[in-house]
Amino acid sequence: MNAEAPAPIGRFEHGDALGLLARADAAGVKRVAETVLPDLGAIDVLKSRTGLAMLPCRDSAQGTTFHLGEVLVAEAHIRLPDRQDCEGYGACVGRDLEHAMAIAVLDAAASAGIQTAVIAAFLEQQSDVSEKQDADLLRRVEATRVEMETF
Amino acid sequence: MAYVAARGGETAIKQAECLFREALGSITEERVCEIQRSLPYLVDRVMGEASLYAPDLAALALAQSGGELSEAVLLLRAYRTTQPRIAYAAPIALDRQLTVRRISAAFKDVPGGQVLGPTLDYSHRTLKTEVLAGQPFTPTPVTPAEKPSERAPPAVAGWLRDQGLVPPADDTEQDSGDIPDLTREPVLFPAPRAHTLQALARSDTGGTLALGYASMRGYGSVHPTVNEVRLCEADVMMPHPKGGHFNAGRVRVSEAEVVSRAQVDGKPILKLGFAATLGWNEVKTIAAATLDLAMNTAGAHPANETEFVLYHTEPIESAGFCLHFKLPHYVTFQSALDVFRGGGAAADEASPEEPPDVAPDDTPVLEEALP
Repeated sequence: MNAEAPAPIGRFEHGDALGLLARADAAGVKRVAETVLPDLGAIDVLKSRTGLAMLPCRDSAQGTTFHLGEVLVAEAHIRLPDRQDCEGYGACVGRDLEHAMAIAVLDAAASAGIQTAVIAAFLEQQSDVSEKQDADLLRRVEATRVEMETF
Repeated sequence: MAYVAARGGETAIKQAECLFREALGSITEERVCEIQRSLPYLVDRVMGEASLYAPDLAALALAQSGGELSEAVLLLRAYRTTQPRIAYAAPIALDRQLTVRRISAAFKDVPGGQVLGPTLDYSHRTLKTEVLAGQPFTPTPVTPAEKPSERAPPAVAGWLRDQGLVPPADDTEQDSGDIPDLTREPVLFPAPRAHTLQALARSDTGGTLALGYASMRGYGSVHPTVNEVRLCEADVMMPHPKGGHFNAGRVRVSEAEVVSRAQVDGKPILKLGFAATLGWNEVKTIAAATLDLAMNTAGAHPANETEFVLYHTEPIESAGFCLHFKLPHYVTFQSALDVFRGGGAAADEASPEEPPDVAPDDTPVLEEALP
């Protein structure tokens, strides 16, 4: 893959966009990828596999970084030979290879400038969903706030 | 070690497995999904001890093993060995993750306050027996607050550090690939702290609790106070081939800091212990953080020895070693018996007695187990 920093997709930085796609409902990501797919031409699949991502963690007591454990992830890496070898990469926690491939398809499409408006609109939608999910969860957490008193 | 020939046991072994699996019935996708949905803390425990975050596979392991935990953890650890390691995620600091529970037993007023999160800590533990009489138990829904809680409240340890109550933390940046990894290299003692914390993260909950409890109860040197317990959903920041990282999803992580008084050169100080694990498992992290404090302190208790703690809280090693004793040991035991008989015969030469009523091992059916 070339070393150029990937361009933003819509108003989203590249990493944020992939993160939204990884967290999004897999069925929705696959649906958008299906609509984009016919415009991509030939696709070389470089990787489509599950594997382990080691997750390091920082100890707050002494500052030691250690390995917390491994996370099963699905990853996909593709190249578009008809589109100046634009590449796409996707990964998501779990075993859903189709989800990872759909992310890679959208990443490649955005990189090649194909249907970027559709992808950006989907990202906007997912951003709203993600923010709402987190806000809802944290409002439920806030309901458990406790003020301790001593006598 | 001698081995005996395998003969005559194949059918029995197959039927024994059939008997085990028949009792569990068909394992369907629906059953696995139900286990994952209804028993998330059990799934978390399996993932933590297996050191592999894969909730659906942990639920499948529980379904296949009928809930026998050592079997379930073994299944997941075995699956792990079939997968390549494809990346090191960016290191996480737990005070920057989406936090759903953060409490302190040491300080009532900590920055960010305290949120109990999902817990039964202050609830009555009563069985809803009416469920067994056909009346479903439907939990009362949460009444959400108007505003969300702080997404990632700071670590209490950092607050203590700001006050000069505990020493500064090591802030050296380390490449993830250079972090000591006990899945790739043997643990040597004195163990690096990274090995110790990794071993505690994947330790057996029961074993860790037993040693931690024994220490905190008074047989050991540490009486901890919980500085912080945190449950969070941590971001898995995967590296992208073009550089940078992106969030590939979240995993449940639990963490505990404990604090205890100690003396250095006659001066009182506060010492912190730390532990974290994949999944939400508070009892393990509190016990493990206590052991982090206890290890390598003076005292005769086993919890004061890192080697003892790490070797004896490894779930697969400990369960496997214990369980291997049920496998055939005919030759080794026969050898011991021969010594026993010989010694007894020499001692009783003058008045021989009947030997013990043990059947000779003339038709072995299974391979001799290694000790």
